[in-house]
Amino acid sequence: MVRYVLKRLLILIPTLIAVTIIVFTLMNFVPGDPVMIALGSGTHTPAEVEAKRIAMGLDRPFLVRLGEYLKGVFFHFDFGTSLIDGTSIQYQLMTRFPNTLKIAIYSIIFTVVIGIPLGVFCAQHANSVGDRFALIVTLVLDSMPSFWLALLLMLLFALKLHWLPSTGSGSFKYFILPTLANSLGGLAGFTRQVRASMLEVTRSDFVTTARSKGINERKVVYGHALPNALIPILTLVGMRFGGMLGGATVIEVIFSIPGIGQLLVNGINNRDSTVVTGGIVFIALTFSLIMLLTDLAYSLVDPRIKAQYTSHKKKSGEEEKRHHGGRHHGRRDE
Amino acid sequence: MKGNRKDTGSLKPGSLRYVWRKLLRNKSAVFGLTVVCVLIVLSLISPLICRYDYRSMDGLNAYSLPSAEHLLGCDELGRDILSRVLYGARYTFIIGILSTAIAAVLGIAMGAVAGYFGGAVDSALMRFLDIFQSFPMLILAMAFCAVFGTGIDKCILALGISNISGFARLMRANILRIRNMEYVEAATSIGCPTRKIITGHVIPNAISPIIVEIAMGISRNGLASSSLSFLGLGVQQPTPEWGAMLSSARSYIRYYPHMAIIPGIFILITVLSFNLIGDAVRDILDPTLKE
Amino acid sequence: MNEKKESAFFSIRDLNVQYKSGAQTVYAVNGVSFDLAAGETLGLVGETGAGKTTIAKSILRILPPHAVKKMEGQVLYEGEDIFQMNDTELRKIRGHQISMIFQDPMTALNPVKRVNEQIAEGYIQHHHCTKAEAEKRAEEMLELVGISADRAGEYPHQFSGGMKQRVVIAMALACSPRLLIADEPTTALDVTIQAQVLDLIKRLRDELGTSMILITHDLGVVAGICDQVAVIYAGRIIEYGTKADVFRHPTHPYTIGLFGALPDLKKDVERLSPIEGLPPDPTEQIEGCAFYPRCERRCEKCKSYRYEPTRLSDTHTILCCNPAGEGEEK
Repeated sequence: MVRYVLKRLLILIPTLIAVTIIVFTLMNFVPGDPVMIALGSGTHTPAEVEAKRIAMGLDRPFLVRLGEYLKGVFFHFDFGTSLIDGTSIQYQLMTRFPNTLKIAIYSIIFTVVIGIPLGVFCAQHANSVGDRFALIVTLVLDSMPSFWLALLLMLLFALKLHWLPSTGSGSFKYFILPTLANSLGGLAGFTRQVRASMLEVTRSDFVTTARSKGINERKVVYGHALPNALIPILTLVGMRFGGMLGGATVIEVIFSIPGIGQLLVNGINNRDSTVVTGGIVFIALTFSLIMLLTDLAYSLVDPRIKAQYTSHKKKSGEEEKRHHGGRHHGRRDE
Repeated sequence: MKGNRKDTGSLKPGSLRYVWRKLLRNKSAVFGLTVVCVLIVLSLISPLICRYDYRSMDGLNAYSLPSAEHLLGCDELGRDILSRVLYGARYTFIIGILSTAIAAVLGIAMGAVAGYFGGAVDSALMRFLDIFQSFPMLILAMAFCAVFGTGIDKCILALGISNISGFARLMRANILRIRNMEYVEAATSIGCPTRKIITGHVIPNAISPIIVEIAMGISRNGLASSSLSFLGLGVQQPTPEWGAMLSSARSYIRYYPHMAIIPGIFILITVLSFNLIGDAVRDILDPTLKE
Repeated sequence: MNEKKESAFFSIRDLNVQYKSGAQTVYAVNGVSFDLAAGETLGLVGETGAGKTTIAKSILRILPPHAVKKMEGQVLYEGEDIFQMNDTELRKIRGHQISMIFQDPMTALNPVKRVNEQIAEGYIQHHHCTKAEAEKRAEEMLELVGISADRAGEYPHQFSGGMKQRVVIAMALACSPRLLIADEPTTALDVTIQAQVLDLIKRLRDELGTSMILITHDLGVVAGICDQVAVIYAGRIIEYGTKADVFRHPTHPYTIGLFGALPDLKKDVERLSPIEGLPPDPTEQIEGCAFYPRCERRCEKCKSYRYEPTRLSDTHTILCCNPAGEGEEK
């Protein structure tokens, strides 16, 4: 087990370094001279520009700058400073991260608490009126752009009914609408996945075996079927949570919540390439870590996978499937 | 649906024609296909059938609610929303379809190479794709948008590149799965030439999951493109792309919600249609999911 | 076989089961009846798809509800009709009075639960005892089937196929049921393991005095274990009798065909004579005898045959209108 974790970390580190190199290089090509952006509007003499360039260290070769950036990120967690206002990006990330984290945690709790019972209900009453109704509702919710849903929720609950604040961050009630807007679409896909997984598992022989032992139906469903059905769901939860930690960008922008996603969008719009680089690298870090934790959680839940890792035999096909499944907003049902 | 087994029985399950015939018997898929076709046609002929040009402004009618004059009302500059929404459908379709096409072509090629050659080529490609998979899809697309700038072509490119890894992994998994199938082994063992195995067994069996992925990809990318435009990173105003329209309507939502609601409904219907098609194809290909 | 004594320990009366498959109906079991005396073992023999497993699963009412279109008849356990029981009564029968060993041990065990939990679970339910007592029972059961008690806390994937089937057997016998249904208990196992597992089942049956219904397609297995034999074809018992009846005097052309398809070391036959053709499509309702197209003795009568049983002796019955006469017997 320990060896497996180490192995995964060993793969993760070069990937993250490669991510950082690529992002840094790409951002080097963002249109606009960073010196001019840093200097702001107005006219500047060539001497001023040159002095600023040297002050920013941009006169040095690209590779040297890249090396320093890598060193900064991986040894000091230092992402440099913003071109526009010169603030520390690390500070920006750390002050904004709690907001993003809150939305992510609330959303995932909401999704799981509603999605699992609903999915189990739909599976148990497959093709009943209730199931069909839930299927239609979830399909529609799934196809809804989250920013549109956010606007509708804001219109109804904040602007018309005045029940909840429309924008900003603060107490819990500021997060209710963002959480709803962020999770309803995903909740739909999640519910359908739980339903599909439950349906598949209830057909397994071991469920019949359990039933043949005479234990009551509740134990058959929740004690035997559900734990097995939840195994593939775990990836989905991890995937979604990791994605949300990267910032529910659109939601943060609409509700004016100072989170990572908003930082990124502002950075792109202001051509603040250092902020963009920092934001993206940070997102890659959190996302990859969550994905790693998800995979580890897997082996805790499923004794078979644990055995695979401890015996150093890995079924690459299965892993491949999990990697692919549940990517892109979890609309996959494989 | 299974009662129709007889007339499709002659076709190989998984072949394109089989899927197509079954698709035409699936109510929700037909609904999806119809909506998509109607929207495409309406979008193409919208300059001919609409009373107003999608660009023409009419200050007197700014913010006007839906009426007989303007069936879906007007926006803040007095432009007819119906004309704009119909004309704008083409952007969603173009971006959705072209970006998925780019992703599919490149992804399938990479996945096929990785799956076919295996070994070092495979590991190298897969590690490379790991880099892409270190981000949520939308963040990746945003990063590319930041580099490329704004505009339809750049948006297509950004979304296309962001989706390569999904297709590549799917194709690779497919190839590996099929290569180990007993019927391929059987074909090899009776001396069937490689070319025939590939055209007769591998491609027909690999193509079906790809179709599902393409249908889902179009809906995903259509949605993502409107998200990007909404954030001001994709297609910009005054192009009547739905996300961009919503973005500008956002400021007026308190008093003129129709400006935001209408483009959203169109996005919803379009994405829903592609999802219905994708779901139907998946059900056809994997009947065990049914019942 | 229908007019046996009323107080049989276990009997099935006119069982009919139909599945739905899309718009079609699968006629899986078409009027099966038999009796089983306490302590006896009945072998249900037939090809794949003949309806054997359906009969077994309908006894405990564990057929997948979404697939079943019709399930009629009576399953009488000590005079009580299992089909008329409510859920609570049914659960008291399942695993406690009647329990089942499944065909594929690979899938019959829950992969995320330890084996002792899975064995103990039913025991707790039926004996209302503590978890510790039940787990002690689980360990005893494991020892009984030849698995060391210190493997009790392991997961199913840590066992081999044969060992898993032993676990399944331990699970089925944990509550000392009075009737054990074994559905092809050895089919999924390696040939070398099959005999061991079969011996185990036989030994435990004798030790515990359990009645048993053994489902198999292997006549050799039947010969070793069973007292009564029922040969199933297309959802009907086409020949029923004691082991001696069926093995010494097989009379239905299908049964004769089954024996013809077996290699016999004593006889010097050039080649085996398999039964030609395929079993009928279960989605079609057949006029007359279902075996007609494959039968060597088919005649005009068979086309309008209504399955009136022919009694050859007190214990031996067949469903055939043109059976082989005494002289023609092989």
